[in-house]
Amino acid sequence: MSKKKIATVWLGGCSGCHMSLLDIDERILEVAQLADIVKCPIVDGKEFPEVDIALVEGAITSDEHLKEILHIRKQSKILISLGDCAIMTNVTGMRNYFNLKDVLETSYVGSISNDDAGEMPNHWALLKLKDKVYPLQEIVEVDYSIPGCPPSADAIFYVLSELLNDRIPDLSEAKKMKHG
Amino acid sequence: MAKLTLQIDGKTIETESGRTILEVCKENDIHILTMCHLKGITDVGACRLCLVEIEGVSKLLSACTTKIADKMVVRTDTEKIKRYQRITTELFAAERNHVCSVCIANGHCELQKLAYDVKMDHIRYPYLFPQCEVDTSHPLYVLDHNRCIVCTRCVRVCAEVEGAYNWDVMNRGTNVRVISDFNTPWGESVTCTDCGKCVEACPTGALWPKAVVQGQLNKAPQMISELIEKRKMKL
Repeated sequence: MSKKKIATVWLGGCSGCHMSLLDIDERILEVAQLADIVKCPIVDGKEFPEVDIALVEGAITSDEHLKEILHIRKQSKILISLGDCAIMTNVTGMRNYFNLKDVLETSYVGSISNDDAGEMPNHWALLKLKDKVYPLQEIVEVDYSIPGCPPSADAIFYVLSELLNDRIPDLSEAKKMKHG
Repeated sequence: MAKLTLQIDGKTIETESGRTILEVCKENDIHILTMCHLKGITDVGACRLCLVEIEGVSKLLSACTTKIADKMVVRTDTEKIKRYQRITTELFAAERNHVCSVCIANGHCELQKLAYDVKMDHIRYPYLFPQCEVDTSHPLYVLDHNRCIVCTRCVRVCAEVEGAYNWDVMNRGTNVRVISDFNTPWGESVTCTDCGKCVEACPTGALWPKAVVQGQLNKAPQMISELIEKRKMKL
């Protein structure tokens, strides 16, 4: 049996879900026996390859994220929403209650911590924020969701080990699932 | 009181008339999900979680507001009911801004518990992301409309137990809001007695005491039910 390929992605989130993934500790050796992690936030520069499992952390907040997630969906056999930001936008989506211009002005121009020179960032290399933040399932088809802020390491390992052993994970129990 | 016999989930139960399906279920250890129900105060059937199937009735009825009848055949655990409960829970979560991770009630929230009960891992409906107000004008408590599910437990407790009638409900649909007095800041209320029963009755992080920090909230809604019982005893 050939090894499966796993990729992990960090979109609009705080990387806490990736920290939780690292919290599976020595069990990562079990994962490594069955799969290669071919792409993750510390693997630099490569185009997102074809994978069996993509773990996606974070919401869709910008044009860059949108392009990325559409590409990831094409490249992945199984796409997993990892954590509350990916599933329900969580803290990243708290700007959705306001319009984008007000949010940016409050952050960069009118912020109390700013001096008078506060200005809106405008550089071609910066990603363009979308008007609203979207959870993954509003943009692409998602196969599994692991809720939590962050999801527990046990839940992440459970889902990975089930999928790597060709079983279907069942997250319905409260001890595996976690909101907030 | 007249005795009558009914069947719930295949179990034959003999009991007195004049009671609701929910009361009978609770007494017989038949678990029904509820949110707007709080023992002791009037049931209004607002949350639609306790819907049950009754043989011969084409629509689902709420167990908390439907009285039992002789030879009634009730089912509380069908796939259809489970599907509706999950839909209801998802709609609760999609309508306002329930951001568990930064909520005062995280870990002590009845809505969160409900999400586990109905096995909700994600929400299939688009989030509305409404802009909701947070009223911090009261010296002791906060009203956060972001977390409100409009179960109206606070409204009923204030009216029926405290007798202050501070709370009421304004508007319809997604614009519905719980209001203090005539939609004025809570801190300016002339009717509120600061008793805090609404805060204890609230199932989510919509009403909370200022003295509590994030994730440390621990409410005791059963305290309301006990209070009602103790008052009946007139010791």
